[in-house]
Amino acid sequence: MAGISTHVLDTDRGRPAAGIRIDFSVLDGETWRLVKSVVTNADGRTDQPILAPNEAKVGQYQLAFHVDDYFRDRAGTAETDIFIDSPVVRFAIFDPAQHYHVPMLCAPGSFTTYRGS
Amino acid sequence: METSALTRRSFTGLGLGAAVATASGGVLAQAGPTPSTASDRPAPLTSAPVSQAGLGPRLTLHAIDNFHGTPAAGMVCDLAWREGDSLTPIKTVTTGLNGRPAEPLLTDAALRPGHYELLLHVGAYFAARGVSLPSPNFLDRVPIRFRIRDAGQRHHLPVLFTPWGYSYYRGS
Repeated sequence: MAGISTHVLDTDRGRPAAGIRIDFSVLDGETWRLVKSVVTNADGRTDQPILAPNEAKVGQYQLAFHVDDYFRDRAGTAETDIFIDSPVVRFAIFDPAQHYHVPMLCAPGSFTTYRGS
Repeated sequence: METSALTRRSFTGLGLGAAVATASGGVLAQAGPTPSTASDRPAPLTSAPVSQAGLGPRLTLHAIDNFHGTPAAGMVCDLAWREGDSLTPIKTVTTGLNGRPAEPLLTDAALRPGHYELLLHVGAYFAARGVSLPSPNFLDRVPIRFRIRDAGQRHHLPVLFTPWGYSYYRGS
């Protein structure tokens, strides 16, 4: 399967991060054009793929993870401990036939992303 | 089996475990506050880490190339002040041989509370090192967004990256 998918994990608590808004954008000329906003489900994934296989094209894409609200609303987190700040991941689809799984692992003080599978 | 168990136990006995066990007995005590004996002493120095202890407020960067297993030397990084999606450039730096810019990114009064973005030129870095990448490569210019809340504190920003992923965190 091609296209784009993600998975948000709260590595501070060791569980999926549910209810996180993700803004998905594509680079259109020199500006990022918002394609859609989705919210992670109880499994930390999105109910539908971020980008369906038949929509995948070579280009630059962006996922913006609104983790600030998630951490702020999470019990037991001091706001002063939140260091990562509206993180965005920018990556390219270089071969539309391949799948791009882009997970995001976060804690108030750390952020990790990578090309998964 | 028995030998390894004894070895492990004697290691524990030499370290924190002994003090804890004496104070309040047994394994359960290890769940409590960390004793301040061994953990307060710095580890033996090696050539790699740079201690920030005793220095004034500053923002420092350390970029590590996890693909080659080396500090990331010669990577261009743009530091900007961020308000929403609007960026105001502060400075552009290049990392040195040790993966750190020659100077802290910000010090003292220049370190203000707020939202920052550091843009790492990861694609150019790997291209300069002759790494074969797809075109366009998966990661090109990587934005690192973080927030400084208390400008009176030191902030260390380690960034670990490969052509296929990256990680950053508030270090020390």
